[in-house]
Amino acid sequence: MLDIRSLSKKFGSGAGAFHALKSIDITIEEGEFFTLLGPSGCGKTTLLRMIAGFEQPSGGQLVLDGKDIATIPPNHRPVNTVFQSYALFPHMTVAQNVAFGLEARGTNPAEVAPRVDEILEIVQMAHLRDRKSSQMSGGQQQRVALARALAPRPRILLLDEPLSALDLKLRKQMQFELKRLQGELGLTFIFVTHDQDEALTMSDRIAVMEGGTLQQVASPRSLYDHPANRFVAEFIGEANFLPGTIVDGKLFLAGSPPVPLLREKKSRGAVAVMIRPEQVVVGATSEKAITLDGRVESLVFSGTDTHVSLRLQNGTTLSLRSPNTSHAGTALADGQALQVSLPIDALHVLPEETADAA
Amino acid sequence: MPHDAPASENALIREETRRRWSLALPALTVITLLSIVPLAVMVAYSFMQAGQYAGVEPGFSLDGWQAVFFERDFFDDSLIPATAHLTILGRSIALALATTALTFVFGIPTAWFIATRPPSSRGFWMFLITVPFWTNLLVRTIAIQEVIRADGTLNRVLLATGIIDEPLQMMFTNGAVLVGMAYVYLPLMVLPVYAAIEKFDFRLSEAAYDLYASRLYCLRRVVLPLMWPGIVAGSILVFIPALGAYVTPRLMGGGRAMMWGNLIDLQFGQGRNWPLGAALSITLTLVVLGALIWYARRTAKKDHANG
Repeated sequence: MLDIRSLSKKFGSGAGAFHALKSIDITIEEGEFFTLLGPSGCGKTTLLRMIAGFEQPSGGQLVLDGKDIATIPPNHRPVNTVFQSYALFPHMTVAQNVAFGLEARGTNPAEVAPRVDEILEIVQMAHLRDRKSSQMSGGQQQRVALARALAPRPRILLLDEPLSALDLKLRKQMQFELKRLQGELGLTFIFVTHDQDEALTMSDRIAVMEGGTLQQVASPRSLYDHPANRFVAEFIGEANFLPGTIVDGKLFLAGSPPVPLLREKKSRGAVAVMIRPEQVVVGATSEKAITLDGRVESLVFSGTDTHVSLRLQNGTTLSLRSPNTSHAGTALADGQALQVSLPIDALHVLPEETADAA
Repeated sequence: MPHDAPASENALIREETRRRWSLALPALTVITLLSIVPLAVMVAYSFMQAGQYAGVEPGFSLDGWQAVFFERDFFDDSLIPATAHLTILGRSIALALATTALTFVFGIPTAWFIATRPPSSRGFWMFLITVPFWTNLLVRTIAIQEVIRADGTLNRVLLATGIIDEPLQMMFTNGAVLVGMAYVYLPLMVLPVYAAIEKFDFRLSEAAYDLYASRLYCLRRVVLPLMWPGIVAGSILVFIPALGAYVTPRLMGGGRAMMWGNLIDLQFGQGRNWPLGAALSITLTLVVLGALIWYARRTAKKDHANG
C-alpha cells in the first residue's frame, strides 16, 4: 500500500516559484490499477516521477509499506517505470535489456536467465530475445520496456503515458493486455495518461488532477456519474451545463416551470445543472422530466448515432444523441423545432463556479 | 518481343552507372590529386636512387628499403639489422599511446562539461576549444615552453609561493614532450567525444537508475558503451598524427630522443637520402594501416560474437 501524504512540489523559489503539486493526499491500495489523469501540466507526471524517485518532494511523505521512501534514491526503491519514450538501451539485445535490472541489483547469475525467459514469455517477446531494440516496431519496444520493468519484481509498476506513441488499433490492444497482465500478476500499477477513454477502460480508480491539485479520486463509473465539479464533468466525457437556481428543494431552469428535486431539499442559490448528452430524451418521456423547447442548430452523423446540437429558447446550447435506428434519425433536419426531455434522475447539480476555483 | 527487354534494361543500367560516375567525379578528382598522387610519389621515390645533393635520380633501387631494415657494419661492411630504427619506432608508438591516454584523461571531462552546458552556451565553450587551432603549431609549442622553462611562468609562481626553493627542470624531459603533445592534440579528442555525449539520451541513464543501477554501473554498462564510437574516433584522430609528430618532440624534448617523424625529417634534410625518407614514411603508413585493420577486424568479430 502506498500512502501519499500532503505531498507538494515547488520549482524555483520566491515570487517566481511554480507549484507543480499542492499538497496531494492519495492512498493507493495493494494490487490496484490506479490512474493519474489530467491535461498536460496538471502535475501527474511530476507525481509519478516523485514516486519513482527522480524528483524530490518539497514537502510531505511517500509511505510504502509503512516506510517513508521520499528521500530514497531511485536505484534503491522497489519501484520500476515504463517510460513514455521506452528508453530501451539501444546497444543491447531484448534479453540484455530485460536482464539489466536483475544484474544491476546483483541477482545470482543462475537466476537471471530463467527469469528473463519467463518474463519474455509473459509479454510474448521470447522469439525476439536476440534482437536489438532499434530493429523493432513501437509495439514490440513497448512490450520489451514492460518486460524490463517487470523482471526485477517491483512492488509497484509506474507507467508514464506508455501507449501514447502507438497507433489507435495497437493502443486498444495494449490497453486490454496491460489490464489482463495487471490482473494476472496482482501487481499495483500506477498509470499516467491524459486520455480519458484510456483511463475509463483500464482503471480500478482514477485520480483527476488539474493545476497541481487533486480534483476527485473515484472509480470510473462514479467519476462519470457523479463528478465532483465542473472540471471533472467536462474532462470525463461530454457534458451539458444549464444555469439554474434551487429554492426550497425546487429547481428553477429558464424556460421551464420549477420542478421538485429528489436529492436536494434545501436552497442552494445559483447552481449549474449537468446532464450527459446521451441522457437527453428526444420528445416526451414517461419518467419525471423537465421538458425544454429548442431548435436544431447542427447535425453530425457519427455511425451509431447522430450528434445533435440544440439551441434552447433561453439561448444556451444543448448537445444530445439521436440513435440511428431504422425508424428514427431521418426525422431530424437542420433548423427544425424540437422538444426534449431531461429526466430528473439524470440531472446532476454542481456548485456554480463563477471564477476559476482551481 | 521478350528478348528486347533485357537489352533496354542493360542500357538503362549503363546509363545509370555513367551518371553515378560523373556525379562522383569531382570528389574522386580531389581524392586522387591530394591523397593518392602524393602517396604514389612517395612509393615511387622509395624505389629510386638517392641523388647526390638530395632529391632522387631515375633508376630502380632497393637501397632505401634496405636501409629501413638493415645497416652496414662500420668495420666489415656486412649487413646487420637496423635495431636503432626499431627503438625509434617503439618510442614513437609509446609516445603516441601516452599522448592518446593523456588527451583521453583530460578530453573526456572537458567534452562532458561542454555537452552538459545549456545549448546556448555550448557554442562558446566549443569556440574556446578551437581557438588554439588558429595559432601556428610552432607558436603554440613555444608558448608551452614559456610556461614550463626554468625561468618560465610556472616556476616563478611556484618559487614566489614558496612551494619550491629552486626551479624545477621540466624542459627537455619526456614529461615536457608529453605535455606539449597532449596540449596540441587535445581538441582532436574533445570534438568527437563531445559529439558522442551530445547525442547521448540522458533518459537512458534515468532508466538505468530506475533499474537499480549505481552511478558507476550506469557509466560502465550504458554511458561508456554508447560513447565508445566517439572515444575510438578521438583516439584514432590523436594517435595517428601523434605517431608522426616531429616538431613538438624536437622543441620540447630538445632533440635528445629521436622520434620516427624526426628520422624522416632527417633523411629529407641533412641526411639527403630521399629514398630512405620515403621508405620510412611508407613504413609508418603501413604500421598505422595494419593497426586500423586489426582493430576493425577485432570489433567486427566482437559484434558478431554478441549476435
